[in-house]
Amino acid sequence: MSLPARVTTLVIAFLAVVAGGIYVALHYIGAQPPVENYTSYASNGQVNVTLMTTAQTTVTNKPDWVTYFIQNPSTKQFVHTTYFEVPANTKVNVTILGYDGCTPLRNPVWGKVAGVTGNVENVQFFNGKTMSASQPISTFDSWADCSVQHTFAIPGLGVNVPIASVTTFNENSNLCGTSPCTGDPSDANSPHTVVKFSFTTPKTGGVFRWQCFVPCGLGYVDGNGGPMGTPGYMMGQMEVQA
Amino acid sequence: MAAEASSPAAPAAGSSGGRRDGLWLLVSWIVLSIIGCLLVALVWGPHLPPGAASNTARSQQVDFTVLGTIATPVVIGVLLYFGWAIAFWRQKPGDETDAEPIHGNARVSAIWITATSAIVLALAVYGTIELIAPAGAGAGQGPQPVFNHNIPAAASDTSWSPGTNNVLQVQVIGQQWAWTYRYPQFGGFETTNLVLPVGVPVRFNVTSLDVIHSFWAYQLGVKADANPDVNNVAYTTPEHTGGFTVRCAELCGIWHGAMYDYGKIVSVSDFMSWTHSTAIQLAAVTKLLPPYALTYDPTVVASMGKVNTQLGLTGAGGGFYNPADPEQP
Repeated sequence: MSLPARVTTLVIAFLAVVAGGIYVALHYIGAQPPVENYTSYASNGQVNVTLMTTAQTTVTNKPDWVTYFIQNPSTKQFVHTTYFEVPANTKVNVTILGYDGCTPLRNPVWGKVAGVTGNVENVQFFNGKTMSASQPISTFDSWADCSVQHTFAIPGLGVNVPIASVTTFNENSNLCGTSPCTGDPSDANSPHTVVKFSFTTPKTGGVFRWQCFVPCGLGYVDGNGGPMGTPGYMMGQMEVQA
Repeated sequence: MAAEASSPAAPAAGSSGGRRDGLWLLVSWIVLSIIGCLLVALVWGPHLPPGAASNTARSQQVDFTVLGTIATPVVIGVLLYFGWAIAFWRQKPGDETDAEPIHGNARVSAIWITATSAIVLALAVYGTIELIAPAGAGAGQGPQPVFNHNIPAAASDTSWSPGTNNVLQVQVIGQQWAWTYRYPQFGGFETTNLVLPVGVPVRFNVTSLDVIHSFWAYQLGVKADANPDVNNVAYTTPEHTGGFTVRCAELCGIWHGAMYDYGKIVSVSDFMSWTHSTAIQLAAVTKLLPPYALTYDPTVVASMGKVNTQLGLTGAGGGFYNPADPEQP
């Protein structure tokens, strides 16, 4: 083989390896869920964000993982992601549709609502037939009561909101079986909760991680693996746009 | 030392032109070392991390200063000899002769071994004293700490007031991915804020709810692993008011890098006000916490409710998940 041919072969091989490395880095390591951008939907200093929890993720290849969904502000469809953007210095009105059953908090301290307006969340319970009136709750005892399914916590902002769960054994045994739960007409009557709270974003921009503090990684050691450690399931990012 | 002793032989092959390299090197080394040591000890030392926010941090800063000062002549000697060799003893163009063979020198060897042994042994003694004096140097000492010099005994685990000879106890609880702090002497409230009074000895009882974390209060000079089912004790005494950073120093999962928060050192009166208001603010959730213990066993649940029992749950530790699940690693 001539010298130019050897050099050419070497260069091509080198570039192929580099390209492969870049592909792996971007496609696997750097991959992240889609981002739901609520920035342009804010008005009068407020923006409404809607999320959902489900006991399974039938839209992925991890059907037995619990997960969050976020509603697309335009199409109103629930998207399997935990990444969203909101504007800075804005009151974020959050609604979480809680379709999962109860799980005790490993650390009961996360049962206290904190970092949100009034330090309370307003909860409605739907038992499959009727929706209860909204009631403000500031502290949950997840051990004595079947009252919490997950948490929505932004440690960087001091936000901690236990997501109320359906409260009876019968309701827990009749949770919706597909996700997102409102995507299947048969799930329309599934027991669930509606949790509402508000918090204000910082005046400056930034990226804030949020997560669930219930160890809900089914089948993983101490429940901390799987969906607890995978972006797009029980943890994500809130980007505040200045 | 060896550089000066052996250097007179080296220039013989390098045609130094009668220059007395050994003497010049020795004088240069002494002068530069004095200047360097003064700069390190007096100028750089007071700015070395982790600062002087606590007695343990200040002790570590002194240690770094001492070690840096001792290392300075060594660094200068190596670099000086290196530079001198490049400048004066390099091979001249056309000169392909070998240098003179180097034979053993018992005197140089003896000086070298004696000097380095003395330095190492002296540092071992110094290090041991520095570990004992500031009560473990801010490091985690396990459940039964040996080094507690100048730390008052825990006269009461359930109360604390200013001016009493009673160590302030703070339980540090690591969990994926946040720190919480429990104050057993103030009703046992648990909070995400770490606030300490200035001038008061503090005993950190460090543990974890899940995986291994490491409590690293950087400006306090405190670092202790947080292991599940283990109480790891570390001591410090804050000496200046101000803020400090708490980080996790043990890779503990995907958000390990975001597992940090900020603590505060405040006056004793401000600390008492803070504990009073926080205890009231957190009263509702404090009564839900398990009884204070030096470790946290999430499988021990005293008040497991009817529905949770019906669902097959026996504790809050995650052990209720089916071990035969195909996702089990």
